[in-house]
Amino acid sequence: MIQMMLVLHVLVGAALLGALTHQSFSVARKHSAPARSFVDRFRGVNSPTFTNVIVLLFAVNVLLGGLLYPRYRVDVRPTLEDLQLRAANGVFEMKEHFAAVALGLLPAYWLAWRPPLAMERGDTRKYLTWILAFTAWWSFVVGELLNNIKGMFP
Amino acid sequence: MGSGRFNVFSIVYGVAYMGMFFWNELYHTALFRYYPVLSTFSREDRSLENAGPAILWYSWLAGAAVISLTAALVVPRSWAERLGQAWIWGVPVALFVLIFVYERRWFY
Repeated sequence: MIQMMLVLHVLVGAALLGALTHQSFSVARKHSAPARSFVDRFRGVNSPTFTNVIVLLFAVNVLLGGLLYPRYRVDVRPTLEDLQLRAANGVFEMKEHFAAVALGLLPAYWLAWRPPLAMERGDTRKYLTWILAFTAWWSFVVGELLNNIKGMFP
Repeated sequence: MGSGRFNVFSIVYGVAYMGMFFWNELYHTALFRYYPVLSTFSREDRSLENAGPAILWYSWLAGAAVISLTAALVVPRSWAERLGQAWIWGVPVALFVLIFVYERRWFY
């Protein structure tokens, strides 16, 4: 059951990364010229349509992380402490704080992206999207690192 | 709930979460703890030998949710609507910087 949840956590995290990275690039776009390069096409998505999915995926992934957390606390963290991997513990502590603060941002993020897109909310849309994207990337990389850490430090 | 209240909720949530975390760091108290070895929630601070490690993260999340929901409902609608946009992203950015600064203790 735990393994299934862990795989689901990774898959939801990957989907979230894709959606948030697209949206992050699209809010950084300054001009509306026709997309020619790969990067322009990557940026040129219809960002508002991603919003509800991102809110759902983010909330579901924090919930999955919360359900997996007891196993981490009992099995993984003591191993990190035994191996004296303080930095690994530290990046996970940051992950749980970033995820918690970002979880609370979801209502404001959803509001900022609610159509019709208000001009005065442009900066809010951009920065909240980047904060959520940063959190998703940090959480994904740290999660993968810790999941594989026994292989990295035999 | 008016749209401005969504922003109030988001700003207060992060501040309340970090406030509860630092409160715990200073005074070692929490609303409740979860002991995964015993599969039990408790308000007591039990010893590691008897109960295994405690999880406090759930209590910070739940406490922040209660505080921010209350704040969002209590703050007058006119105040919530007047809230500057920069606060909505500026406060979480400041909290992220605070997290980086405080948690660098793990890297020394």
